[in-house]
Amino acid sequence: MFRKTLMAAAVFAIGNTAQAATEITWWHAMDGALGDVVNQITEDFNASQDEYKLVSINKGGYEDTMTAGIAAFRAKNQPNIIQIFDAGAATIINAKGAVKPVQDLLEANNVNFDINDYIPGVRYFYADSDGKMIGMPFNSSTPLLYYNKEALDKAGVDVPKTWQEFEAAAPKLKEAGYTALAQSHSPWIFFENFMSRHNLQMATANNGYDSTDVEILYNNDALKDHWQHVKDWKDAGYYGYYGRAWGANQDAFVQQQVAMWIGSSGSFGGLRKSAQFDFGASTLPYWEGTGDAPKSTFIGGAALFAFSGHDAAQDAGVAEFFKFLTKPETQYYWHKETGYVPITNAAYELAKEDGYYKESPDAEVGITQLSEEGGEWTKGYRLGFYVQIREVIYREVDKIMNGEETVDAAFATIEEESNGLLKRFNDTYSN
Amino acid sequence: MKRVQFEHSAVPYLFIAPQILIISIFFLWPAAQALYQSFLLEDAFGMSSQFVWFRNFEDVLTSSSWTRSAIFTVVFSVLVSVLSIAISLFLAVRADEVIRGAKSYKTLLMWGYAIAPPVAGLLGIMMFNPLMGDLYKAFNSFGFEFNHIENANDAAFIVILIAVWKQVSVNFIFFLSGLQGIPKSVQEAATLDCKSPERRFWTITFPLLAPTTFFLLVINLTYAFFETFGIIDVSTKGAPGGSTATLVYKVYVDGFLGADMGGSAAQSVLLMIMVSVLTVFQFRFIERKVHY
Amino acid sequence: MYQSKWRIFTNHTILVLGSLFMILPVWIAFASSTHTREYIFQNGLQFLPGGEFFTNYGAILFDAEATKGRVTALEMLFNSMVLGLGFAIGKVIISMMAAYAIVYFRFKLAVPLFWIIFSTLLLPLEVRIVPSYEVVANLGLLNTYTGLILPLIASATGTFFFRQFYRSVPDELLEAARLDGAGPIRFFIDILVPLSVTMIAAIFIIMFVVGWNQYLWPLLMTTDDQLYTIVIGIKQVYNSLYEGGQIPQFPKAFALTIMASVPPVLVVVIFQRMFVKGLVETEK
Repeated sequence: MFRKTLMAAAVFAIGNTAQAATEITWWHAMDGALGDVVNQITEDFNASQDEYKLVSINKGGYEDTMTAGIAAFRAKNQPNIIQIFDAGAATIINAKGAVKPVQDLLEANNVNFDINDYIPGVRYFYADSDGKMIGMPFNSSTPLLYYNKEALDKAGVDVPKTWQEFEAAAPKLKEAGYTALAQSHSPWIFFENFMSRHNLQMATANNGYDSTDVEILYNNDALKDHWQHVKDWKDAGYYGYYGRAWGANQDAFVQQQVAMWIGSSGSFGGLRKSAQFDFGASTLPYWEGTGDAPKSTFIGGAALFAFSGHDAAQDAGVAEFFKFLTKPETQYYWHKETGYVPITNAAYELAKEDGYYKESPDAEVGITQLSEEGGEWTKGYRLGFYVQIREVIYREVDKIMNGEETVDAAFATIEEESNGLLKRFNDTYSN
Repeated sequence: MKRVQFEHSAVPYLFIAPQILIISIFFLWPAAQALYQSFLLEDAFGMSSQFVWFRNFEDVLTSSSWTRSAIFTVVFSVLVSVLSIAISLFLAVRADEVIRGAKSYKTLLMWGYAIAPPVAGLLGIMMFNPLMGDLYKAFNSFGFEFNHIENANDAAFIVILIAVWKQVSVNFIFFLSGLQGIPKSVQEAATLDCKSPERRFWTITFPLLAPTTFFLLVINLTYAFFETFGIIDVSTKGAPGGSTATLVYKVYVDGFLGADMGGSAAQSVLLMIMVSVLTVFQFRFIERKVHY
Repeated sequence: MYQSKWRIFTNHTILVLGSLFMILPVWIAFASSTHTREYIFQNGLQFLPGGEFFTNYGAILFDAEATKGRVTALEMLFNSMVLGLGFAIGKVIISMMAAYAIVYFRFKLAVPLFWIIFSTLLLPLEVRIVPSYEVVANLGLLNTYTGLILPLIASATGTFFFRQFYRSVPDELLEAARLDGAGPIRFFIDILVPLSVTMIAAIFIIMFVVGWNQYLWPLLMTTDDQLYTIVIGIKQVYNSLYEGGQIPQFPKAFALTIMASVPPVLVVVIFQRMFVKGLVETEK
C-alpha cells in the first residue's frame, strides 16, 4: 500500500516537474463582469495545454493600463501582452520597436494568419498602411441605436434609419412625452463614426495611417451641419444632453425619459438586465445624400499588443494564446458573455449556426453594421495624442450644448487645438 | 539656536540618514526627472527623445486650456480661502462667547478635517445629483436654473462649496484657539468701552487675530491649490469642458492619462515654481523662525 | 462678561446652523445608505434611515461582488489601517530622528541637509506625479505596502514639528545629562523621547488621519485591487455609479463614504484635545 502511494507520488511529481510552464503575463483593462470573462478565458487556455501559463492582471481602466505599460516598459519590466484602446493606438504603434506586430509574431510561430479571416470592420483599424496587422482586435464594439419599442409605438413611428427620418419622428415622440434621442460618447459616435458612416475623410495622410505628419479634417460642413442640427434638436426638446458620462445618458434611456439612445453594440447585455421595457437595436443613422452614406462604421474598444523585449519561448507562448483567442469557440464565448462582436468570420458563422441570433437578434446588428460595405475612409484612424484630442472635443461639445459657443467657433477651436496636438506628436515621434 | 550641542561625528548622520535617503530617492530624483523631461520631446516609451529647450513651456503657456485652468485655480483658491475663513471666523467668535454647550459645539464643528477630500467630493456631488439630489432640487425649485453639467459657473459653485465645507473645521480650530488666547482682561476692558459686540469685534478682536488670519490665508490658498485634487476627481472631474480643472488636476489628466511626457513635466515645473513662491512667502512673512 | 439675551440667542442659532451645515451631508449619506437602491432611485436622498443597514453594510464588508470588484470593504479598511498606522509611525520615527540631529548636533553638512529637508515643502506629490510613479515602478514597489507608505513619510512637516519642540526643551536638561556621562543616544532614548510623549501622541493622531485619507498617491500606484484603501474604493464606486445599464448603487456608495469616514472622525473627536494641540503646534 505504501509502495503504491510512493509510486503514485513519484509519477505525479515527475509529471508535474518535468516541464515548468513558461509564464506569460497579460495586462488588461477589463474590470467587473468583463474581468470575470477574461479570467475564465485565461483559465481555459491554461487548462488546454501545459507549455505556457498565462497570468492575467487587471491594471485599471484603459488609461491606467496604458500608463502602467509605459512605465513598465521604461523600467524594462514590461508584460508580454497589453491591452491598448483605440485612442492610444497611435502612441504604442508609433513607438518604434516597442511592440512586435501580431502578424509577424504569429507567422514566426507557424500560426496560420490570414487577415481576411477577420470581419471587414475590424481588419485594418490596428494595421499599418500596408495592411499588416500590428495589434489584435480584442474587444470590439460599434455604435448602435437602441430604441424603446413601446415609446415608438405610442408615438406611431418606426425606427429611423436616417437622420431625415429621425427629424420627422422626433416631434411625434415629443408629443408622446419623450425626449427623442440621447447618446453616450460624442467623440466616438458623433465625430469618428460619423465620418466613417458617411465615408468622409477624417484626417490627412490616409486618416493618419501613412504618417504622423497629419492634420485633422473635422472642420467640415457635413459634420458642422450635423452638430448644428443636434443643437437645434436640443433646443427643441428632441435631444437630451446629460453630460459626458456614458452612464448618465444611458440612464436617461433606461428610465424612459428618452425614447432612443445611441450606445455601443456591447451595451445590450446590461440593458437586458436593467431596462423594464421592450427595446430593440438598430444601425447608426446617417444623413441621406451626405458623403457616401451608408457605409460601415468602425470599431471602438481595444486591441492586444505584444511587447518586444522577451525571449523566443515567451513570444511563442503569446502566439499560442492569440491562436487560442481567435478560435471560433473562444470568440463565440467572449461574444455571448460580453456583447463585444466576434472578430473572425468563422466565429460569426459559428454563432449563426448555433442559433444565437434567433434568440437574440439584437446581438447581430453590430456585426452586420461592421460588415456593411466599406469605403475608402471606413477602416479607422491613427492619430497621436488622441486622448487629449477627445478632451478638446468633449470640452467644445459642452460649449455648443450650453450655447456658450457657436458651432463654427467650436469647430475652429477643435481644428486648431487638435492640429497643435498632432504637430507635437509628430515632432516627438518622427526622429 | 541651541547653545548646547553635541559634537559627535557619526550619530547625527545616522539619525538624519533615513529621511535624507528617502527624500533623495522619492522627492529629489523624481523632481530632477521632471525638470529634465520638461526640456525634452520624448515618446511615451522612452525610445527616443529630443532636446527642445523651452518649447514645452511655450506650448503649455500658450494653450488656452492651461490659461483657463490657471485662471480657474486662482479664482477658486481665493474664493475658497476667503469664504471658509469668513465662515469659520464667524462661527469661532460665537463659539468663543457661548458658555452653555461650548464643548459640544466645538466638537460638532471641528471634525471636518478628518474627512478625506474624495469623500467630501462624493457627498457633495450626490447632493447635486440631477435625479435625486436634495440641493439640486432645492435650487431648481427656487427658480434658479441650476445645471452643473452644462453650466461652468454652476459646476464651479459645487466644487467651491465642497472645498469650503471641508476647510471650515480647520480654520475654526485655529480661530477658536486664537480667540481663547486673548486675555480675559483685554476682553473685559473692551466690554467696558464698547457696548456693541460688532464694534468690539472689528476694533479689537479682529486686529488681534490678524496674524492668525494672515497665516490661515496662506494655508488655505495652499490647500485649495493642492489638496482639492480628490474633491474634483470625485465630483465634476473638471467638467464641463475643463472649466473646473485646477492646475494640479490638469497635470494629472495630461501626464497620467494622456502620455505626454514633456508637456506634463513642463506643467509640473511651473507648479513647482508656484509652490515655491507660496512657501517662501509663508516662511518669510509669517513664520520667521525658519533659518538654520 | 455681559451678553444680552438676544446675543446669546443668535449665538446659539448660528452655531446650531453651522453644526447642521457640517453634519447634514454626512447624516443624509448615512440615512440613504440604509435603503434599497430602488428606493433611493425613485425617491431621492433620504433624511430618515431605512431598514437595510445590515444588508447593505454586510454586503459591502463581506461580499466582494457588492463593491464592483474582487475586494471587500473589510479588506479595504484593513489596507487603510495599514496605511494610516504605517504612515504615522514612519513619520514620527523619521522626523524625530532627523530633528534630533539638526537641533542637538553641530556637524558639517547640517545646513545643506536642513535645506534639503525643507525643499520637500516645495515638492508636494502633485508636482512630481509621473516621475514619482516611474521611480516606484522601477524599484518594483508598485502595489506594495512599502511603496505605498515609504515615499510619503519623508516630508518636512514632521521634522519641523519636532525641531520646534526640541528647541523649547531647556538646555539645562542636556547639560545635566552630560554631567551624568550620557552620550547622545542615551540622552535621546532616556530623556528626550519620554519628554516628547504628548507631542508624539498629538502628531501621531494627525498623521494617522492624513495617512488614512491619502488619495492621489494610492490612486497612482495601486492597480491591484487587493491593495485598495477604502478611500480609493470610493473612487471605484464613483466610477461604477455611472457605468450605466443598472440601477446605480447609491446606498452602497454612501455606505462606503460612511465607513471611510468613521475611523478618522472618531479618532479626531475622541482625541480632540491632542489633535487640536498637534494641529495648532505644527503650524506655529
